[in-house]
Amino acid sequence: MKKLSLLAALSAGLLSATVAQAEPLKIGIIESLSGAQTSSGRLYATAIQYGVDKINAGGGFNGEPIEVLEYDNAGGAPGAADKFRQAVADGVDIVFQGASSAIAGQITEDVRKHNIRNPGKEIMFINVGAEAMQLTGDQCHFYHFRYTTTAPMRVNALVQSMRQAGDLGTRVYSINQNYSWGQDMQAAIEAAATDNGYEVVDTVLHDVNKIQDFAPFVARIKSAEPETVITGNWSNDLLLLMKATGNAGLDVRFGTTYLDQPGNIANAGETALGHYIANNYDNSAGEPAFADAYKEATGHYPLFVEPQTIFAVGALGEALSGVDFGGGEIDVTTIAKALEDTAYETPVGPITVRPEDHQTIRPVVVSKVVRNAKYPADDTDMGFEAVNVVAGEDAIYPAQESCAMDRPD
Amino acid sequence: MRTIIPAAILLIALLAVPPFLGLGWQNALVNLLIASLFALAFNLLSGQAGLLSFGHAAYFGVGAFATLHLMIAVEDGLPFPTPLLPLAGAGAGLAVGLVAGVFATKRSGVYFALVTLAIAELFHSLAPHLQGWFGGESGISAMRMPWGGFVFGSLLEVYYLTLGWVVLSILVLWAYTRTPFGRLTLALRDNEQRVRFLGYDAHAAKVVVFTISAMFSGVAGALLAISNETANYALFSAHVSAQVVLHTFVGGATIFLGPVIGAVVFTLFAYIVSDLTRSWLFYQGLIFVLVMLYAPIGIGGVIRHHLRHWRSIDWSRLAAPYALAGVGGAMIAGGVVFLTECVAILFGEEYAVAMRDAGDTLPPFEMAGMSWDPLGPASWLPPILLLSIGGLCLHRARDRIKPLWDAIEGGAAKEGTR
Repeated sequence: MKKLSLLAALSAGLLSATVAQAEPLKIGIIESLSGAQTSSGRLYATAIQYGVDKINAGGGFNGEPIEVLEYDNAGGAPGAADKFRQAVADGVDIVFQGASSAIAGQITEDVRKHNIRNPGKEIMFINVGAEAMQLTGDQCHFYHFRYTTTAPMRVNALVQSMRQAGDLGTRVYSINQNYSWGQDMQAAIEAAATDNGYEVVDTVLHDVNKIQDFAPFVARIKSAEPETVITGNWSNDLLLLMKATGNAGLDVRFGTTYLDQPGNIANAGETALGHYIANNYDNSAGEPAFADAYKEATGHYPLFVEPQTIFAVGALGEALSGVDFGGGEIDVTTIAKALEDTAYETPVGPITVRPEDHQTIRPVVVSKVVRNAKYPADDTDMGFEAVNVVAGEDAIYPAQESCAMDRPD
Repeated sequence: MRTIIPAAILLIALLAVPPFLGLGWQNALVNLLIASLFALAFNLLSGQAGLLSFGHAAYFGVGAFATLHLMIAVEDGLPFPTPLLPLAGAGAGLAVGLVAGVFATKRSGVYFALVTLAIAELFHSLAPHLQGWFGGESGISAMRMPWGGFVFGSLLEVYYLTLGWVVLSILVLWAYTRTPFGRLTLALRDNEQRVRFLGYDAHAAKVVVFTISAMFSGVAGALLAISNETANYALFSAHVSAQVVLHTFVGGATIFLGPVIGAVVFTLFAYIVSDLTRSWLFYQGLIFVLVMLYAPIGIGGVIRHHLRHWRSIDWSRLAAPYALAGVGGAMIAGGVVFLTECVAILFGEEYAVAMRDAGDTLPPFEMAGMSWDPLGPASWLPPILLLSIGGLCLHRARDRIKPLWDAIEGGAAKEGTR
């Protein structure tokens, strides 16, 4: 609406001037809110709104309710760059984004450059879903915080838990998408082999979301005779791979990272039974109160990327409770420092920020697809059941050497 | 003279007004200028030479990446003036356009479109794998370096840099149309056979046109790279190629500045509407369909039609039905927006929660600051009234406008035969 009124003011030949008062903290969500990727974008936005509503119900921040502004990045990095500038124009203090590492790469660079050019008017980027290693590697900077796992954390937790459950075996096959995420996954699978007593029998990197028929890949998997297939595939690449494996009658266990994407379980059907997933959270792992409260407000149990997003906003809320600007100007650097020191208690354990690269140290939940689950997925009788919660310190890996972070004084 | 004065006024406005605008509008203006140049470059090929390319994102993207590589080199100490960075985009667009053009222009029509589409797709699928050139799927980034007393840190400096390059490029493109080769370009579209019989090498001519078009697309991409300071493989996506086709045809492919009109309309539309409603892409598509159905010559074409007959138009008789048509159009637009937004709310997730809380009945919903009952006639009366009265108005207006225009055009035709 602000833009419309601005337009009216312009057409009348007037100039608009913003009036500075006790300023509210402004959160900007730069997500895919139209087009093909809308469903993920909406999950992030819903979870952020839920978290902010909770903070506002407790009195907001700086004497004002926190404002949430949504920006549609139209699914691409150029759109995100454009919307980031719009967010700057609107006076946004904290940017949230999660879907797509490519877009996160754009935003984190934009934030870094903005902060170099506008000292004293910094902007913070809370990354709630982009898992590319370079975001906490050579792209890392003080104002970026990653409130989600990365490939090594997921893989470490996954193979540890599967091994303890006796479902891992000694022959592991790695099939992943050929871009940074899939490459990170493959590297993590290979790195965890010796510690967990398995051999990587073969590795495959394939095109992203272009393959319609996975039969040739399944034939290759079959000939390598693995007991477990670990994959970071998401969306169609995961579904079609699992279905092709099922059709070929191949008896392998899948270790996955994105099996809980809405629609996957319904689509895969019985083929999904017994497969594993490592993720930030699963409703069956924590107390029911968390899931119920979310359902009460939004109409569904927290799923897929929502829990980690709720945790991120929760951690921010806790950091804000220790900061007081007395209704005056908001200093994002102070908030960032407070967030760095915040240990946020989730239903499955604490989340802390590693100061060297601003990766969060967080518990990873490993769960398995079962029948008659407590929290059924996609209106089926199947769902996820937590088998293990790997504590943050057991899942974490050393900070990357490529991260050289300049800290503000 | 008649075109110079409005152009000068527009240029002065573009120079003088932006410092007083907010950051958001400055950003929108930068996007608008880049989209305009891209659409003009595209139209050189599609409108003037009659070669419809569906893959112009390739040259746009190549220009952006080449510029970023130069920017990185400048960051590392290469003494290159920042304002001349788009030359890298021009060079890359030219080189890639030349190679692609040699192949693509061997065919025309649908086959040409398919070849260009394939070339763009080639870049789109290769780019994420070529880490060194395109930086994987996260792309490459650089910073604008200060030069000659300019810091190039503020959006305003970027705006003036963009404006300078866009105005210069538009002038060159316009001058091109006045040259004998520019005339030959039009002849290629109208009758390629005849061009060949006149002794010209049609293929070579088409390659040249293609290359020039790709070069200016590269400049547009370079300007985007300078303003965004990053580029990733999404620049090669079919969406970018489609967008420029949309801009060009809505604006009018047969008029030199038509594509600019389309680019301005759609960029402003996206800027104003995209954060107001989630259905903005639907509205954008609707505009495109309506323009194609009822004004296939584009918005620019409609404007030119009026300018051409300016002297013979009897505005005292035409003004009233035009106003009526405007009112009717606005009412129909209001009705459509009302319905679309209702549907978006009623099938949205928030309403699903409200419905569950109300015990599976249909609770009233909020829209535009008012409460509406989904089953109440009072909610559906406004759109029905808007659509039906609006339709009636438009129908009426058309019946009155058509004979007037027939008379104007008939008069003009008679004058022509005399």
